[in-house]
Amino acid sequence: MNKRPLSFIILFFLFSFILFSQQKYTLSGTVSEASSNETMIGVTIAIPELATGVTTNEYGFYSITLPEGEYNIQISYLGFQAQTQTISLTENSKLNFLMVEEAQQLEEVVVTDSSDKLDIRKPQMSVNTMSVATIKKIPVILGEADVIKSILLLPGVTNAGEGSSGFNVRGGAVDQNLILLDEATIFNSSHLFGFFSVFNPDAIKDIKLYKGGIPARYGGRLSSVLDIFQKEGNSKELKINGGIGLVASRLLVEGPLKKDKAAFLIGGRSSYAHLFLPLFDIDNTAYFYDLNTKINFKINENNNIFLSGYFGRDVFSISDSFVNTYGNAVGNFRWNHLFSNKLFSNLSLIYSDYYYGLKLDFVGFNWNSGIQNFNVKYDLKHYLNDNLQINYGLNNIYYRFNPGKIEPSNATSGIVEDQLIQKYANEFAAYIDIEHDITPNLSLGYGLRFSNFNRLGQEEVNVYENDNPVVYNPSLQIYQEADPISVLNPKRSESLAKFNNFEPRISVSYIINDNSSVKGSYTRLAQYLHLISNTSSPTPLDVWTPSGSFIEPQLLDQYALGYFRNLKDGDYSVETEVFYKDIQNRIDYIDGANLIANDAIEQVILNGEARAYGLEFLFRKNTGKLQGWLAYTLSKSEQRTPGRTTTEPGINDGQWYNTPYDKTHDFSIYGNYDLNSKWSFNTNFVFQTGQPTNYPIGQYEYQGLTVPYYGLRNQERLPSYHRLDLSASLTPRKNANRKVQGEWIFSLYNVYNRRNAASISFGRNEDTNVNEAVRTSIFGIVPAVTYNFKF
Amino acid sequence: MKKYILIIFVLSIVIGCEDVVEIDVPKDDTRLSIDALIRIDTETSTTRVAIKATETTSFFEEIEPAVLDQIQLLNTSSNTITDLVEDPSDSGVYVANLPTRELMEGDFQLNILYNNEQYEATTTFVPTVPFDDVKQGDGTLFSEDETEIVVSYTDVANSDDYYLFDFGFNEYLVSEDTFYPGQSFEFSYFYEDGLEAGRKLNISILGVDEAFYNYMNQLIVQSGGDQGPFQTPAATVRGNIINTTDSDNLALGYFALCQEYRETVILE
Repeated sequence: MNKRPLSFIILFFLFSFILFSQQKYTLSGTVSEASSNETMIGVTIAIPELATGVTTNEYGFYSITLPEGEYNIQISYLGFQAQTQTISLTENSKLNFLMVEEAQQLEEVVVTDSSDKLDIRKPQMSVNTMSVATIKKIPVILGEADVIKSILLLPGVTNAGEGSSGFNVRGGAVDQNLILLDEATIFNSSHLFGFFSVFNPDAIKDIKLYKGGIPARYGGRLSSVLDIFQKEGNSKELKINGGIGLVASRLLVEGPLKKDKAAFLIGGRSSYAHLFLPLFDIDNTAYFYDLNTKINFKINENNNIFLSGYFGRDVFSISDSFVNTYGNAVGNFRWNHLFSNKLFSNLSLIYSDYYYGLKLDFVGFNWNSGIQNFNVKYDLKHYLNDNLQINYGLNNIYYRFNPGKIEPSNATSGIVEDQLIQKYANEFAAYIDIEHDITPNLSLGYGLRFSNFNRLGQEEVNVYENDNPVVYNPSLQIYQEADPISVLNPKRSESLAKFNNFEPRISVSYIINDNSSVKGSYTRLAQYLHLISNTSSPTPLDVWTPSGSFIEPQLLDQYALGYFRNLKDGDYSVETEVFYKDIQNRIDYIDGANLIANDAIEQVILNGEARAYGLEFLFRKNTGKLQGWLAYTLSKSEQRTPGRTTTEPGINDGQWYNTPYDKTHDFSIYGNYDLNSKWSFNTNFVFQTGQPTNYPIGQYEYQGLTVPYYGLRNQERLPSYHRLDLSASLTPRKNANRKVQGEWIFSLYNVYNRRNAASISFGRNEDTNVNEAVRTSIFGIVPAVTYNFKF
Repeated sequence: MKKYILIIFVLSIVIGCEDVVEIDVPKDDTRLSIDALIRIDTETSTTRVAIKATETTSFFEEIEPAVLDQIQLLNTSSNTITDLVEDPSDSGVYVANLPTRELMEGDFQLNILYNNEQYEATTTFVPTVPFDDVKQGDGTLFSEDETEIVVSYTDVANSDDYYLFDFGFNEYLVSEDTFYPGQSFEFSYFYEDGLEAGRKLNISILGVDEAFYNYMNQLIVQSGGDQGPFQTPAATVRGNIINTTDSDNLALGYFALCQEYRETVILE
């Protein structure tokens, strides 16, 4: 634990400042939308007299402590009318604000601001926020507005290509993203193998992506946090909105249960069956659906309760002999409580699971696997004074892993029912996180997270000679699975392995002038769960496995440095960052490892390491008729697994190799042009270095099979990926006087019909007996139309 | 079983489109490749052992036979040596006739001298079980043109068993008995292309050991072409042919003695 001295310094910093509070008054309250009472996240409450301010938290709450006096408070949020209120602060005061959307009806003078404006002042860096309004404008495949496809346009975010699940942040793996929906962990973010993401944009209020400088309140994943908050529901009036698209339709209903006090929201989305399998006949289906629900109840000034749920499934079936179902389910209870006008608390009780089920009747079995977790979180935000805020809290997660259960699917099946050994673990964390303005120009964010992971007893535990589940066979020059020498049967209460980690987080910002700042950060994170996946993009079937005696927790150190600048009073902004990441204990798999239905996964895993570094550049135009951004990332992401002893080669001869998501250049442009109140146009263009891949270095024959063979891993690349998308949205003029507001969105994906390679595979064409390299490309040009409505 | 589970991933590719592209592939040094899977019908008294030696080439070149300086089978239990001779000449196929009973007992070592380097491989006979039944079914999975073949066999109780199935047309499948130990087990195999009635299909079950099962499992995946975005890292599949002169100059291929049962189905 060489990081411990740093941890002590952080605590010292904290206590030296706590001792130091003065007699002042506190102004606090919530900010909501006037039309729906929906609380608003990230609204700025500025105090120009003191050149200070505060923003609302995830629940719309703010609190700021100021010396007695008269202030002109400015409340602003892009896209909404700014307000100014003069108050004379002579005692602790509560002030709630209602924000009104900027009038869209003013024909031809639509000068809306994007709500994604840059905050140069806060030490928080490496973070991107995106409003749902922006997400809905970005042209996407088949016109389905999509959270994950949208964040792929940001610097530092890529994925393994079309039709691949999840996303990669700053050269990190897909399983290193913490995806939170109303604070609950989502284990698989994709529908239909990544063509769509599981989030229904209509139900979402706000998304925030942390790529670095991750605050201490988050933990458990190394690369990023995608924090998504669902809307709470309109407590003023009943509202319905929805959309009809080529792939899926959506409907969302929200309204008051008790006016101004309680509201509900229920949203559903479903794709149409068959669409994805046009080649198959009527017996086959492929579809997905999801359901978002939320109830909020304002008990009184100091207490709010939220109940929210998510349920989503993908279903494939072929002639009844093959049925595949998978998806996430989340249930969550939260209680916001104000202890005082300075101390905000939130208690969350969360259940979430991921289920994967498969029926293969022609082999005679049913299969299911999954992960469940029970999560208790208690978070406090303490607004000590106008330059010091302390967040602290506790978090405990209990996990149950089901690597798989197999059952006979019919009476004549020879399959014997078998439950692969279930695994159990508990993850506890405590954190403290301080936002501290040292001088008007210098702000610090520093925090410490302590995490403890306890791998609990399971039915059977294999014991290996020399504790070594993988052995190297020097004569065949391959790694092989070791045979256990005995099997233990520990009780559930026994601990099989324990890990403790101190995870310091430090960020600093120095304001050069009103419009520019430099920021730096250091982040250490520990990740105890691993997605067992050997493919270039995870599959829905992949199982999660906890750290334990043979699999170490992944540990990250990330350093980032950035320069931030607002130009022309924030009309434009520039963000530049460099980062370096170093990851210990990134698992890798021995050649030919079988990961599916493997009851002793430790026999095919070696602990390796990974690293990534790069430069990100983001230029945004935030105001005017033309808005958008240009993002560029230059980066490198690689991993290696050296031999454990000098006589072993390790994986890939122990050499560094490109991760499947290493993209040297990643360039994207997004633009939105509001022509008039009727028409607006959007475009994106993406250019990326091709994904690393393998070309055979030779071939041979065995029993009639033509077998390509390969050299070191991922030395070649697919051709560069590029694509242009366009969309236009039409809001009919007659809308203004109507109750039902409609909107048409026409989109064109991959305008110049480039056949981007998803893969190039090598094999013998059995018809012509000639060896071929075959390129698979997923989408050519795809037109789509969607109709959205609300009333 | 893994293969079946992977079928669903192929599904996602269905909506994509494929075309043949020109790729400049890298070229490795020429290596020796040995196809020495000896299929043994235990009902016959003599088994013709045929081993094919070739030289590897870059992916788009023609594979040529290798000219061996010497190739011998050594029964390490009885210490008898049998020389194999090339037949027909220049074919790279080396043959010898051995008593079947001898092949079923004892450990065998294959010794090869090629380009002044010595290669060796060792193996032992692996028995298997006969089919209980092989019949044509009328089911389909992805398209109406498919032909279903239903095979069934009874696994040996109280042992870990591995099977290799040869369905002809260079289509192979491996299975282990993890989930059906000692049971009578049945599964369906679907031929993609529409096979016409009257066509004769030869279908074999072979006994393999764990190492050869792993080898064939990887070979089937790597020779099987497209895995789309779900491809696993490609690596050279190392077999059991060891270069004892220079271990860095690895040879490819595998030496195995496997019991085979073969059934013939005439399509209706």
